Amino acid sequence: MWSRTFAGFLLGLLISVSVVLNLNLLLPIKEDTMLLIGLLCAFPIWAGIQVWAYSFTSAKKAWLKLTMVLTPSALLNLLLLSLR
Amino acid sequence: MKRDALKSLTNAHAWVGLIISTILFIIFFAGSLSLFREDIISWERDPYFVSSEELETFSIDAVISQVAKDYKVNTHGYFILQMPTAELPSTNIYFEEKIVAEANLPDDLEDHLDEHVEDHIDKHLIISPDGKILGDGNAFEWGNFLYQLHYNLHIPEVGLYFVGVVTLFFFVALLSGVVIHWRKIISKFFQYRKDGKKDKLLDAHNLIGVMGLPFHIMYAFSGLVFNLLIVYQISYAVALYGGDQAKLFKAAGVVDIHLEETNVAIPVQGLDKLLLTAKSSLGEVDIIRMSIDHFGDESASVTFRGDDKSQFSTRKEVTYHIASGRELYLTKNNYDNDIRGGLAVIASLHFGDFAGYSLRILFFVLGIGTCYIILTGNLMWLQKRANLRSEKQNKLGLQLVRAMTTGGFIGTIFATAVGFLCARLLPLELLGRSDVIGQIFFACLAASLIASLLIKAQQQFAAIFLKITALALAMIPVLDWLMLSQGIVVMFNAGHFDVLIVEVMLLSLALCCWLVSSRLFSSAEAVIDEQLINTDELTENSIGKASVIN
Repeated sequence: MWSRTFAGFLLGLLISVSVVLNLNLLLPIKEDTMLLIGLLCAFPIWAGIQVWAYSFTSAKKAWLKLTMVLTPSALLNLLLLSLR
Repeated sequence: MKRDALKSLTNAHAWVGLIISTILFIIFFAGSLSLFREDIISWERDPYFVSSEELETFSIDAVISQVAKDYKVNTHGYFILQMPTAELPSTNIYFEEKIVAEANLPDDLEDHLDEHVEDHIDKHLIISPDGKILGDGNAFEWGNFLYQLHYNLHIPEVGLYFVGVVTLFFFVALLSGVVIHWRKIISKFFQYRKDGKKDKLLDAHNLIGVMGLPFHIMYAFSGLVFNLLIVYQISYAVALYGGDQAKLFKAAGVVDIHLEETNVAIPVQGLDKLLLTAKSSLGEVDIIRMSIDHFGDESASVTFRGDDKSQFSTRKEVTYHIASGRELYLTKNNYDNDIRGGLAVIASLHFGDFAGYSLRILFFVLGIGTCYIILTGNLMWLQKRANLRSEKQNKLGLQLVRAMTTGGFIGTIFATAVGFLCARLLPLELLGRSDVIGQIFFACLAASLIASLLIKAQQQFAAIFLKITALALAMIPVLDWLMLSQGIVVMFNAGHFDVLIVEVMLLSLALCCWLVSSRLFSSAEAVIDEQLINTDELTENSIGKASVIN
């Protein structure tokens, strides 16, 4: 249980930051509105990812699947930030 | 959802719930009481300082000049004045008082003998409408103690983030609970089987959980925003603003109207006139707070702030340069910034301050209901583990969870009741009165936990402990009237009902404790359950002893 907890906690945080960052970089909305949207989305994504991590029967599967979600999102972050 | 996944989630839901249960109980219990924080502060303080003077005599300038005469206000510190109301004409002022202490300098450095080191202490004064200092407000901090317990458990530095992480796991428990219960969420919406003990606990857990779901989600989310916002703040600052936090703050609507200090001392005067100007500038708003930056310096500015009750969660604020009367900043719409507005909405939802007492009473009931959800969750876990065969039981774990449940949950309520009693009984002259009450609170909580670890018959202990707690809670209104009836009656006559509100809240809690004790812990089946468990333990011990002998 502890390993799945760490997977959800750590990767959930990274995924939420990454997804929200992508939203900020992609959507053409004014700055303060965008920050608010990011804030509203970030915590539910973090908690949701953690719930997802707990739904796996093994910690290994949880780490793997969550990393598979984080990787493309993080790559998109890098791409969008480099194009800024 | 697949059967295995559902099973994993169910286990995780129970595990997460159990791990965070005691802390979450304290957070929710203290938070429910904190909905009435101002009433609790007023309950503790105002019966001693009732004033029959009319509000018309109030003058900010008179109050300020009295404070400036009697105290050395720290120019670099904060200065806040809570505006008086018709019901409560006395004013509360919070500021830093400068203390000049001689530095410990080496003896040979005669040139530096005149050097001093500046330090300060936090002051809170209660002031009558005509400017007389009535007393020291720092002696009446019980309401703030409970509030601080709610948001950081009185753990310095990291307490805020720790509570944030617990809130995150509460959110996880909520979401996993919804997923687990999803298929039955409509069909079993009203199900409450009161005859079977296990069913009764489960149904109460689900029933209150589902009915209060929007409330729980709102609290989990808003709590996270308050306590863990820093995580996203840092990541935004780094990724979007290249590490420049000032740019992020600007985008988030933080207005910097800071004026450089000139070190030219001038008296702080002319605030009554500026208050009238502020009222005409801000329009329909009750100004509740006034703050001064650079008190006593030529650069000093004053900010008047109020909430517009005709609109949802709208803050209005105006700042003036005191010496010239020049307007530095005015906002009538939450600083014209979505994030400031959004955060104000989240704060209003969290504090339930937008629909009077009816909403706060509803939030209080739901908050106490959440405490019951946490209790039933732990009781179900205990029952499940107790029903396992002896060899599968973890005796230490079982005893620890029992102690957390009895000592932690009931201990928190008991310690709170004792805190209220101390807040009423301890003499006002007692040095560090508020700190003493806080220490007594934690001593009671620790003693309850230790007692729960040592006592075997937990059900009976819980039943008796809850009843003692109920009696302690019920005693507080009695003490109020025995000790301070005159002051309370004057408050009632002025339309100031905080004492009554707190008394009703405490009596409701006393009733809840008594009912839970009678219905959940004193029932024949509960005692039989425990006897069965104890018999199992005895049998196991006997077998153990027999095998040792053989």
